[in-house]
Amino acid sequence: MSTDPENQSAKGKLFPSAQAALADIADGASVLVAGFAGSGVPENLLRGLADTGVSGLTLICQGAWLPISGGFGVSDLVATGQVEKMVSPMPFHPEAGGPVKELWKSGKLELEVVPQGVLAERLRAGGAGIGGVFLPTGAGTRFSEGKELRPFGGKEHVLEFALKADFALLRAKSADTLGNMVYETTGRNWNPTMAMAAAVTVAEVDQVVERGGIDPELVITQAIFIDRLVLAAEQQEIS
Amino acid sequence: MPGTRLDPAAMARRAAQELFSGAVVALGPGLPCQLPGEIPDNGVWFLADSGVLGNNGLEANSLEANSMDGNTRIVDAGGNSVGLLSGGSFTGVVDVSGILRGGHTDIAVLQPSQVAVNGDFVHWTNEATGDLMAPGSAVDMAYGAAKVVALMPHQYPPGRSNIVGTCSLPVDGAGQVNIIITDVAVINIGPSGLELVETAPGWSADDVVAITDAPLTISPNLKEMSFQVPSLEMPNKVYSNAVEALKDVPEGATVNVDGFAGPGGMAHYLMVGLRDVGVKGLELISNTAGIARMSSFGAPNIIDHSILVENNQVAKATASYPVSPSVSRPTAFEEAYQRGETELEVVPQGTLAERLRSGGAGVAAFYTPTGAGTLLGEGKEARTIDGKDYILEMGLRADFCIIRGHKADTLGNVVYKGTSRNFNPVMATTARITVVEVDEIVEPGQLGPEEIVTPGLYIDRIVLRPADFSAYL
Repeated sequence: MSTDPENQSAKGKLFPSAQAALADIADGASVLVAGFAGSGVPENLLRGLADTGVSGLTLICQGAWLPISGGFGVSDLVATGQVEKMVSPMPFHPEAGGPVKELWKSGKLELEVVPQGVLAERLRAGGAGIGGVFLPTGAGTRFSEGKELRPFGGKEHVLEFALKADFALLRAKSADTLGNMVYETTGRNWNPTMAMAAAVTVAEVDQVVERGGIDPELVITQAIFIDRLVLAAEQQEIS
Repeated sequence: MPGTRLDPAAMARRAAQELFSGAVVALGPGLPCQLPGEIPDNGVWFLADSGVLGNNGLEANSLEANSMDGNTRIVDAGGNSVGLLSGGSFTGVVDVSGILRGGHTDIAVLQPSQVAVNGDFVHWTNEATGDLMAPGSAVDMAYGAAKVVALMPHQYPPGRSNIVGTCSLPVDGAGQVNIIITDVAVINIGPSGLELVETAPGWSADDVVAITDAPLTISPNLKEMSFQVPSLEMPNKVYSNAVEALKDVPEGATVNVDGFAGPGGMAHYLMVGLRDVGVKGLELISNTAGIARMSSFGAPNIIDHSILVENNQVAKATASYPVSPSVSRPTAFEEAYQRGETELEVVPQGTLAERLRSGGAGVAAFYTPTGAGTLLGEGKEARTIDGKDYILEMGLRADFCIIRGHKADTLGNVVYKGTSRNFNPVMATTARITVVEVDEIVEPGQLGPEEIVTPGLYIDRIVLRPADFSAYL
């Protein structure tokens, strides 16, 4: 989707660092962050986002309920104070707490809590050009308050609207220089859906291979959805 | 004095008695994550909302194992590191939500922090977290699963009953829980409230009533909880031939037929089987309604929908390419339609795919821009969202589905080849009975977990396409 000629080098969409790949992110941006409980988290990009110094961010992500020891997770970014709002199905581990809980309790962080499948479906709709969807999930709870309800097949459904964001931060195992990507185990989680739902998508990968280096039957996220790549460990080169 | 309270393993073994062979069982975070470790056989599909199907027991104490190499771990709903059963596979959270919501989940096991007499529940949060909610996928599981099991401590913190008359916190699910299994009792939830049906060893009904902050009726068949794990095994899905796999297709059935526009990705052998079964009044959902016969050019004719049309089995087609591009060579379906023998519903291809995806994923209806302002949008609800015009399209489901894979394992996991993937994966999610025709059937574990496109929980029957079978008439 990106037409920036500087991206079309021999290294394809590969940027030299996370910070370089996020240099044009603006204050107040909405950012999708992939990852589930420490699996498939774009740690290098989250650190790069913190380093850009932008503020007033809205993060849309699984949550920050298990801090990543020795790494850099959503809770570490939230702790910097750069995040104004989080949209999440599990913002923090209720027993564990952490910076998300503290900032929320002190009124410095807004939380919007949504069921996981509803968030996933809203992002999918955003990525697939669907305006809105009628879902059974959460009818009769506060997740449906203020929303249009309609019965289908005798069961109440809730109208949920599509969701898109300015940036998506993703984590994959491998990409080719075009941006075709594969994941590893549960690292897949939010990545393929979020890859479709942002204006600019940036993926952090273990390795970048030449085109043709990924079996076409195994590609999960197609290159057309990926704008920028960075390496998880920045000293690595194209293999 | 009552007996001791059950440990998590014993609670999980009791919960396992709610499962049945081949069930799809969604597990929420907390105690439910104990179940796979207590069931030695590969007899059910465990599903974690982290994107793993077929998760195995917990690996050694893994909540602390989050680290820089987290990307290589397999995590379950609770963030624990887990193993993978042979035949397990990985998926993304949006596909998990479809499995949960689309009627594919038989049982959800959750750990609510509160359950009320009417089946309302609060997931994970308590007075200490106050207004915050932590629904995770619990809401999707509760609203999607046929049966919802609450697996929870009877009291937590000590002295405070988790079973209540009315939830004291905002609920994550209204009236969704069917059965409560605690560390001291099993309680059914029915129209008349809570019924105590089992107590833990050493616990009397009075002991349980005394620590329950809600009215309990005592079952006349009250018994002691047992912890025998049932013997479960995956049902056999491999059928000897196409007719065997399709002989119970009823008259007037709706049948998804895969394929794009040519020989690839069509279940030709099953198509012949459906013809040989001979059932009438079929409503086909398919990209085409058969392609034009090429015999005037001397080329062999491919088997497709036309053999059903010519056998007078088709009452209706829902398709995006129902006609031949050549007026002089109409398809068999076109001719039948012109004779008034069949009905036709024309749907743009992307709308057809999205309607199928919605039907399979439990999305009742959706607003799509495709066809707004055209004949295709007539008679449908129009709506402007953020300045763009949309029309409302409905999810689509079928009774049967015949699809074409390249390989399947005996659990029903399927991989495709090239563009023959086309409608197959989405159609597989939408039918009551899905039958796949493949070139090769392998043992579980022989298809890579990252490679599986259609997970076995969507596949009911598998048929090997005979090596000498020709797709040409």
